[in-house]
Amino acid sequence: MSAALALRAEWAKFTTLRSQWITPLLAVLLTTGITAAVQAAYGRVDTSLEDDPAGGIYYGLLFGHVAVVCSGVLLVGQEYASGTVRASLAAVPRRGRFYAGKLLLGTGVGLVVGLLSVAGTHLATAATVGLDLGQPGAGRSVVAGVLYHPLLLVICLGATAMLRNLTAAMGLLTPAVFLGTTFLTALPGVREAAYFLPDRAGLYAMNYRADPAVPYGHWTGLLVMALWAAAAAWGGLVSLQRHDA
Amino acid sequence: MIEVRNLTKRYGATTAVAGLDFRVEPGRVTGFLGPNGAGKSTTLRMVLGLDRPTAGEALVHGRPYAALEAPLRRVGALLDAHAVHGGRTARGHLRWLAASNGLPRRRIEEVLEQVGLAEAADRRIRGFSLGMRQRLGVAAALLGDPPVLLLDEPVNGLDPEGIRWIRTLLRGLAGEGRAVLVSSHLMAEMALTADHLVVVGRGRLLADLSTEAFLAQHGRARVRVRAVDPLKLADLLRTSGTAARPVEGGAWEVSGAAPEEIGALAARHGVALYELSLLQDSLEEAFMRMTADAVEYRAVAA
Repeated sequence: MSAALALRAEWAKFTTLRSQWITPLLAVLLTTGITAAVQAAYGRVDTSLEDDPAGGIYYGLLFGHVAVVCSGVLLVGQEYASGTVRASLAAVPRRGRFYAGKLLLGTGVGLVVGLLSVAGTHLATAATVGLDLGQPGAGRSVVAGVLYHPLLLVICLGATAMLRNLTAAMGLLTPAVFLGTTFLTALPGVREAAYFLPDRAGLYAMNYRADPAVPYGHWTGLLVMALWAAAAAWGGLVSLQRHDA
Repeated sequence: MIEVRNLTKRYGATTAVAGLDFRVEPGRVTGFLGPNGAGKSTTLRMVLGLDRPTAGEALVHGRPYAALEAPLRRVGALLDAHAVHGGRTARGHLRWLAASNGLPRRRIEEVLEQVGLAEAADRRIRGFSLGMRQRLGVAAALLGDPPVLLLDEPVNGLDPEGIRWIRTLLRGLAGEGRAVLVSSHLMAEMALTADHLVVVGRGRLLADLSTEAFLAQHGRARVRVRAVDPLKLADLLRTSGTAARPVEGGAWEVSGAAPEEIGALAARHGVALYELSLLQDSLEEAFMRMTADAVEYRAVAA
């Protein structure tokens, strides 16, 4: 019962603070909107048969997932930035329970953003260049596209709980996801290791076709990302339990 | 009821709280006094389970705070009026607090009314004055209608009207049988508000007694006496062996004696007096003297 109350408190925090619910909304709008715009403008003329359909469908995600990162960072970081974390822990003194409330809300928000974004991008693609969900890999791509969102959000939520600082988390995670891994995969020496970074692995799971350069399969990519999410969530819990608030 | 037993908090080589022992009883306001840096806030955070003690324990209703189910129904706390998110409205802030402990929604309206924020309930906290934030903090503490209240420096930065409001409120809450612990570095304010005092300095317990007893013990009484013939008085005081020191205007201050004794002594020796009065130290002076050795940051005369 008390765990349910912790979740209800997190839901109330989420709905009473504009920046918290606008950010995930922005993620859906960015991903869907940019995909729709790009597909409408270039989709039909620029797509050759060899191209992976996922590249067009998820084009907007390259922008939208920055908002997903922000959403995960804000859920925990705003507690530390405002000092509300003390009131939160006075209200829910069992830290595991408090953190479970955060994780559940974050996962839920991520799932909703994932479902809406994937639905939006697929509808936009169907309406512009056309969509064949019977193609091999299409079903998996949809599943991976939805799950990518809660996994990324949980990674950022957990990392922020480890850092216990909004500014540090924002400064570290946003460029890491937006720029970092793209640069890293371009460097010959670290390319192999960079494939195991969470967003790379998660994005690969959405591809219809296999890339021989990637050292694992599609489902394994999703698993790699899930392992990152589990590690971040666990790290955040340890940090929360270890430190004085 | 709060019980603090041998409570200790060390940060590396620094000891913030050193083996504190005290109780906060229901039905009275307990003033938790000490200069800045005495360890008051650290103690309150440990009582609330926010900071982990290095040694000792703090119990609320006989249990550690973290073991309480729906703790807001048992203990209400105001730690820092600034530790709220400015983007929420007053009502929004109270809404998540109520949700966390399954408190009925009507409590939100009740406490907003009680602290006088009903009009401002839907305004964002970022636009609140310090006084309004303090009121919101008090509203949050009262939300679960708890029998125990902890308030850290609630009058800080308040105007006289706000200070009077807090004072009346705290006295009223104690009058209803609640245990009220209120920290402050303002002795004079506590003399008016608190029934009981717990005084700390450098993390150590300096005194734990009623406000009256504190005044009687530490507000050292002196007798001020002035005679028609100051030299004759000086002789008399010297020969009678009283601890007296001359002050300006030919008067003397005698400590450790009652005015009755001095008056009788003067009459026996035919010394005519102009003035004979009892001087009581203010609580502030008593506090300064008591904590003089325990003040961590003192201005050093160059």
